[in-house]
Order: sequence, then C-alpha cells, then structure tokens
Amino acid sequence: MAVYVYSITAEDHPVRLDGVEGVGEEPAELRKVVAGSLCAVVSDAPDGLRPKRRDVMAHQAVQERLMADGAVLPLRFGLTAPDDDAVRDALEQGSAQYTQRIEAVRGCAEYNLKASQDEDAILREILLESETARELNDRIRRGEATPDMPVQLGELVAGEVQARQEALASGVIEALRPHSREVSTAQPTGEDFLNVSFLVAEDQEELFLATQLSVTNQLGEGYTFRLSGPLPPYSFV
Amino acid sequence: MTVVPQGGDVSRGGGGGSGTLYDVLDLILDRGLVIDVFVRVSLVGIEILKIDARVVVASVDTYLRFAEACNRLDLESGRKAPAQLTDVVGDTLESGAKGKSKGALGGAMEAVADSLTGGGKKRQADDDRAELEEGTDAEEREPVEERRSTRRASRRERER
Repeated sequence: MAVYVYSITAEDHPVRLDGVEGVGEEPAELRKVVAGSLCAVVSDAPDGLRPKRRDVMAHQAVQERLMADGAVLPLRFGLTAPDDDAVRDALEQGSAQYTQRIEAVRGCAEYNLKASQDEDAILREILLESETARELNDRIRRGEATPDMPVQLGELVAGEVQARQEALASGVIEALRPHSREVSTAQPTGEDFLNVSFLVAEDQEELFLATQLSVTNQLGEGYTFRLSGPLPPYSFV
Repeated sequence: MTVVPQGGDVSRGGGGGSGTLYDVLDLILDRGLVIDVFVRVSLVGIEILKIDARVVVASVDTYLRFAEACNRLDLESGRKAPAQLTDVVGDTLESGAKGKSKGALGGAMEAVADSLTGGGKKRQADDDRAELEEGTDAEEREPVEERRSTRRASRRERER
C-alpha cells in the first residue's frame, strides 16, 4: 500500500498528532515509521491525490503540529513511497544527512518575506529622477517623437526598474541577514520583486521581527511586504 | 534626521485565510525535502505557479509596455499640493546624488521615501489564488500566522 510521507523527525520526537488529519477526502490515520534514530510521519496514500486546498492545508497542519514539539524536516507536498519498507530504507540511506539537517534547524523557524512595489510609483520615481526618461516621455506625449523613442524609453525604464528592485531586494535581505542563521532566496512571482526565506533561531526572533518592521516603515508608501511565519523550515532542508 | 509622518491610510488590513495560504503555497509545493526514490504524485496546477515568475525580459514588447505605462502615467496625480511638490522634487534630486555614495538600501530608501504615489494597485493574488482547487473544508483552518505589514502611511525623511 502506497504511503504519503509528510515529515522526517528524530525518533525521540513525541509526534503528538491527535486531532490532526492527513491528506485525502477521507484521511487515513497518521502514523510513524521508525528507522534507527529517525522517524517518518506517514499515512496511507489516498487515490488520485491532487493539490486541493484541503490537502495542502492538511500537509501544512501536520508540519506545524510536529514543529511545536521539536525539530522537523518537512517534505515537499505530494511525495509517496511504495510502502513502509521503502520509507525505512530511505531513512537509513539518508540517515547522516537528515540527522545533520534536523540539528541545523533545531530551535529555528522559517520566515518568508515577499514584497511588491506599486508599478505607477516606481515609474513615477524613475521619471522624476531621470531627465532622459522624462524628456523622452514628454516628447512622445506631445507627439514629437521619432519612431524609435518609445523603445528607447522602455529600455531605459525597464533597466531602471530592474536595477532599482534588485538593489532594494538585496538591501532588505542584507538588513535581515544578521538576525538569521540561513537565507534562501527564490524567484519572485506575480508583481513581487522579493521572495526570500530566513531561518530564524528562537532567540533571534524578536530582533528579526523588529528589524523587518523597521525596514518596512523606512520604505513607506508604495510597497507591500508580506511576512509569513513562523513556518516549518521548508526552504532549509 | 527627523522622520515626519504624513498621515494617510495606514493599512489595508490583513488578508483572510486564503491569502495566508497563497503566500506560503510556493514553499509547500516547491520547497521542502525531496527524497529521490519517492514518487511525486502528478499534481496538475503546480506548474502554474512558475509560469507566473516575474522577469523583466529584455524584449521590444516589454519596452513598449513600459513606455506606454509611462506615457499613461499622470505625473500630477500623486501631487497633493504645489508646495509639497517642490519639496519632494528638491529632496529627490538631493537624495539621488546621495544615493550613489550610500549602500543600496539607503539610497533606494531615500529615493522611495519621496515617491509620489497615487492609489495603490491591488495585488493579483485574488485571481491567482483560483489556481488552487477548492476543497470542501477550505476556509476552516489557517496554516500559519501571517503578519501583514502593509504600510500605506506616507513618510518623508529629511536631513537637516
């Protein structure tokens, strides 16, 4: 029977899962598969699993419950093994690596920060600060432009947008880095220009949050920051 | 240096449960530990997250879109009063020069502190969220605590 695998923890983790349900329309019971000093949390895999909101949240809920009682390595959503033996084999094979990662994330949580900037705001900023851009823009609006001017303006502005947002993103990351153990950046999506995760130790949390708030306040208008956490350390396993 | 809060609406409020899920979806679906010998169930819809990746592509189409956005932009709309405008332009020119000799964030922050923003544009999350299939018990639980730190308050920093 295929099993859905949620997380890997140390064998001595209490794994209290009462009241938490697994994935699937009629969730199968959550249980432990132990191998040596490691333990995997699994349930029988439902047929035809898809990324439904309910299932994604169930996966997440298991991590959060485990995280409350000790270090946990969350698996990516949707991984299944053929049976319990296959899970045990995997634990044994990766034993050294998993044990090392469990120690690395012990006492820590992930904080994910995403940020977007209002497009009109950044374009305004560029037009105000770049004389060349402003002149090109004015000439196009007055109908005095040569045919290549819109492309010229766009190229200039696109370059500025990218440079400014990259500088800003790295500035935000560097401001927060000292209060984290590890940093993991990812490709921003949608209108975001920043998508970064920090592994934050418990005793650094307060300082990290205060710094984040201060960065947000300093940047002020035109920006939207979305901080999620404390989360299971998805980006640090 | 003094910070002068300028008022304005401070927050648009936190998102609901689904907004919270949206912001951690990429972590749950795209990160986390992968064990090679395990099979990942075919999950239709996951790729959608990646298509959406924001890249400022160097193409004529992108350039024209930016140019049009600039042409359309009403440079006056963010200006509330002429006196304020003069202030801001002065600050911007100053901070533009200072920005070069400062760290990236410092320079960007000063420039941004003076940006003339009109109304905010709502994030596309509401639409994008639809990519996640609705489950029956969708809104019951929140997976994480989110601290939504939106600041719409207008602040201006000045060096004296």
